[in-house]
Amino acid sequence: MPAAAPEVELRSSPHLHTRRSVAMIMRHVIYALLPVAAAAVWFFGISALASLVTAVGVCVATENFLSRLAGRGSTVGDGSVVITGILLALTLPPGFPLWMTAVGAFVSVALGKMLFGGLGANAFNPALVGRAFLQAAFPSAITAYTPVLARNRFSEFIPATLTPPFLQPPPLDRWIAQARVDAFSGATPLMQWKFDGAATDPFALGLGAVAGSAGETSAVLIALCGCYLLVRKMADWRIPAAMLGSAALASLAFHAMNPARYPDALFTLLSGGLMLGAFFMATDMVASPVTPRGVWIYGSLMGLITVLIRNLGGLPEGVMYAILLGNAASPIIDSVTQPRVYGHGGRK
Amino acid sequence: MNPRADLPPSGRLIRLMAVVSLLCGVIIVAAHKTTLEPIRRNQAAISRENVALLLPGASRQIAYGLTPAGEIEILTGDPAGREHFLAVYDQAGSLRGIVWEAAERGYADLIRGMFAYDPEGQKVTGFRAVELKETPGLGDKIGTDPGFLANFRALDARLNQVGDGLANAIRAVKHGTKKNEWEIDAVSGATVSSRAVGRMLDRSARRWTPVIQRHLDRVRKGH
Amino acid sequence: MHVHATIDPQDTVNQDAFLDGLWKQNPVFVQVLGTCPTLAVTNSVSNALAMGAATLFVLVCSNVLISLVRKLVPKQVRIATYILIIATFVTVVDYVIKAASITVYKALGPFIALIVVNCIILGRAEAYASRNPVGRSALDGLGMGIGFIIALLCLGGVREILGAGTFLGYPLFGPGYQPWVLFLLPPGGFFTLGAWLLAFNAWKRRKEKTA
Repeated sequence: MPAAAPEVELRSSPHLHTRRSVAMIMRHVIYALLPVAAAAVWFFGISALASLVTAVGVCVATENFLSRLAGRGSTVGDGSVVITGILLALTLPPGFPLWMTAVGAFVSVALGKMLFGGLGANAFNPALVGRAFLQAAFPSAITAYTPVLARNRFSEFIPATLTPPFLQPPPLDRWIAQARVDAFSGATPLMQWKFDGAATDPFALGLGAVAGSAGETSAVLIALCGCYLLVRKMADWRIPAAMLGSAALASLAFHAMNPARYPDALFTLLSGGLMLGAFFMATDMVASPVTPRGVWIYGSLMGLITVLIRNLGGLPEGVMYAILLGNAASPIIDSVTQPRVYGHGGRK
Repeated sequence: MNPRADLPPSGRLIRLMAVVSLLCGVIIVAAHKTTLEPIRRNQAAISRENVALLLPGASRQIAYGLTPAGEIEILTGDPAGREHFLAVYDQAGSLRGIVWEAAERGYADLIRGMFAYDPEGQKVTGFRAVELKETPGLGDKIGTDPGFLANFRALDARLNQVGDGLANAIRAVKHGTKKNEWEIDAVSGATVSSRAVGRMLDRSARRWTPVIQRHLDRVRKGH
Repeated sequence: MHVHATIDPQDTVNQDAFLDGLWKQNPVFVQVLGTCPTLAVTNSVSNALAMGAATLFVLVCSNVLISLVRKLVPKQVRIATYILIIATFVTVVDYVIKAASITVYKALGPFIALIVVNCIILGRAEAYASRNPVGRSALDGLGMGIGFIIALLCLGGVREILGAGTFLGYPLFGPGYQPWVLFLLPPGGFFTLGAWLLAFNAWKRRKEKTA
C-alpha cells in the first residue's frame, strides 16, 4: 500500500501571514481608548466614570438581547459593542443624565447597528448615531457642559448625572459657581469662540484643561493613543491624515479671510471633538470606503464639512455631522474610485 | 390597421373636459364667496389681537408706508406686502404707540416678530414672535420665556445725534451679562435664536425710528 | 349621469368597502401611501386631526364625483379629469380651513395644497371610484379617510406625548417631564412611522404563522 499522501491545505488568495481576527482588532482599539477614558475620569470625576459604565453596560445588554431575539446567538464576544459604548460616553457632556446616556446607548446599538444587521453591515458609526439622536432629542441637556477639575469631583456627582428617568436635569449654574476652581468655565472653547469671540490658549487645549464632552479634552493624549492604532495598523492612517489636513487647510483659508471671525488652524485642530472623531470614529472600518483614493476623499470631505459647520453654521461644533455625512457618502465614494481591474474594460 | 381607431374624437374629449372644468369652477367660486367674509374677519382679528397684546388699550390703527421721496403716507386697504408701520391710537384718539413687523434668520428658519415702540420715550416696549419654527423647548423660548420678554419692557432705542440711526446698537448678550438698557439678555441655551431677535430689532429700529421721529407730529395727529 | 347612480343594481351598501380602509387595507400602515403629510404634519394631535379631516373631506367628495362621471370619461383623459376634481375639493377645503381658523391654517402650511398630490386620493379614484357605484365609492372614501385619520392620530399621539409631554395641548406628566424634542422634529416623524410599520408587520407575520 502506498504511504498516505501528506496533507496539503489548499487555500485561495489572499495569503495573509498575520492572524488578525475581528476580536483582536477590537481589543487593541479598546486598549487605545482606555487612556482617553481614564483622562476623562481624571478631568471630570465619578460622573464621567458612571457615564462610561452605563453606556458600555446598556450597549452590551442591547446587543445581547437583540442578537438573541434575531435567533443568531449573542455577538457581544467580538468586542465591537464595547467600543461603541466607550465612544458614546466620550462624546457626551460629563454630567449628562445617566438615563439619557442609557437611551443613547440603546439607540446606538439598536438603530445604528443591529437594525442594519449587526457588525459589518452598519452604514454609520453606531456611537454617533446614538449621539445624533440624543442631540436632537435633548438639545439643552447635551449642551450643558461643566468645568474640568471641579472640586470634589471624585466624591460627588455632577447634579444632572443622577436625574431620575424621564425628568429634566436641574440647571447647573449654581453648582458650577461653587464647584469650579480657578477660572475654568463651563463653556467649551468652541462655544466661547462662537458666542463671545474669545480664543483659548492652545497649550490648555492640547493638555485638555478645558470644558467639553468627556472624551474631547486632551488633544495630545488622543492623538498619541490614535497613533498607537495607526502604528499597529489597526486603523487606516490616511483617514485621520486627510481629515485633520483638510480641516487645517480649510480653517487656514477662513482665518486668512477674516482673522477676527474665524479661528486659526491650530485652534481648529485642538478644540472640540475633531481629534477623537478623526482617530477613533471616522476610522470605523465598516462605514468608511475601501479604496485608497476613496479614503483620501472621504477624510478630506469630513475635515472640510467640520470646518464649514463650525465657521458658517449655527452650531459651535460639527464633527459629529461631518462624520455621519462622510459615512453616508462612503458607498458613493467607493463606487466612483473603483480601480480598473487588469485586463477588463478600457480607460474611461 | 389604424392604431388610433379606438380613440374617441378630440372634440368630444375637449367638450368633456370643458364641462368638468366648468363644474369645478362653479364649486370653487361658491366656496370662495361663502368663505371670503369669515377669512377677512379672521385675519383682521389676528392682527388686532397681536397689536392689542403689545399695546393694551389700542382701539384704532393706521398703517403708514414710505413714499419714494422718504415721506410717509397712509396706506389704505391691506398693508401686507408693503413695508409699513402701524400707528396705534387709544379710545381718546391719542397716539398709544407704534408697532412694526420684522423678520430675521434664526437657528431653524425665518423668525417673524412684532415690536412695539414708544416714540415719546424712544423705547421699545414689547416683542411678540408671530412666526417661530425654532427648536421646540429651546429656541422657541424666545416667544414665551418671561425673563426674555421682560427685556422688551423699556429697551433703550434712542436716536443718535444726527438722527439717522440708533445711538447704541441693540444686541443680545449672553444670559446673565446684560449691563446696558439697550442690550437683550439672551435665553440661556438659546443664544442663536436670541441673537436673531437682537439683530431683527436692531435692523428694524434703525430703519423705522428715524422715520417715525422725523414725522412724529404727523403721526400723532393721524393724518 | 345621475340616473346611472341610482339604478345601479350592484350598488348595495357593502361593509367591506368601509372596513377595509380602516384596518386591513389601512392607507398608511398597510399600503404605505400618503407618507408625505403623514410625516410632515403629525407633530401634534390637533394638526393630525385637522389634516386627517381635510383629507377625509377631499377623499369622500372626489370619490363621489368621480364615481358619478365615471361612465362619461374616456380613459384617455381620466387622470386629467380626476386631478381637476381633486384639486377643486382641495381648494374648497383650503378656503374652509382658512375661514375656520388661521392658526390651524398656518400650522398645516403648504400641506393643505399638497393634498392634491396625496397618492391615497388619486389611488382610490383610479382603483375604486372609477369602477364602482356612487354609494360604495363614498363608503370607500369614508373608510380610507378614517383609516388615514387613525394612522395620523397614531403618529401624532406618540409624537406629541413624547415630544411635548402633552395630549391635545393638555400636559400629561407635570412640570418636571423632559420632552424628547426629537419627536417634534422631522426625524421623529420617520422614527415613529418606522416603529409603527415594524409593529404592523410583526403583527401581520404572527397572524400568518398562527393561521
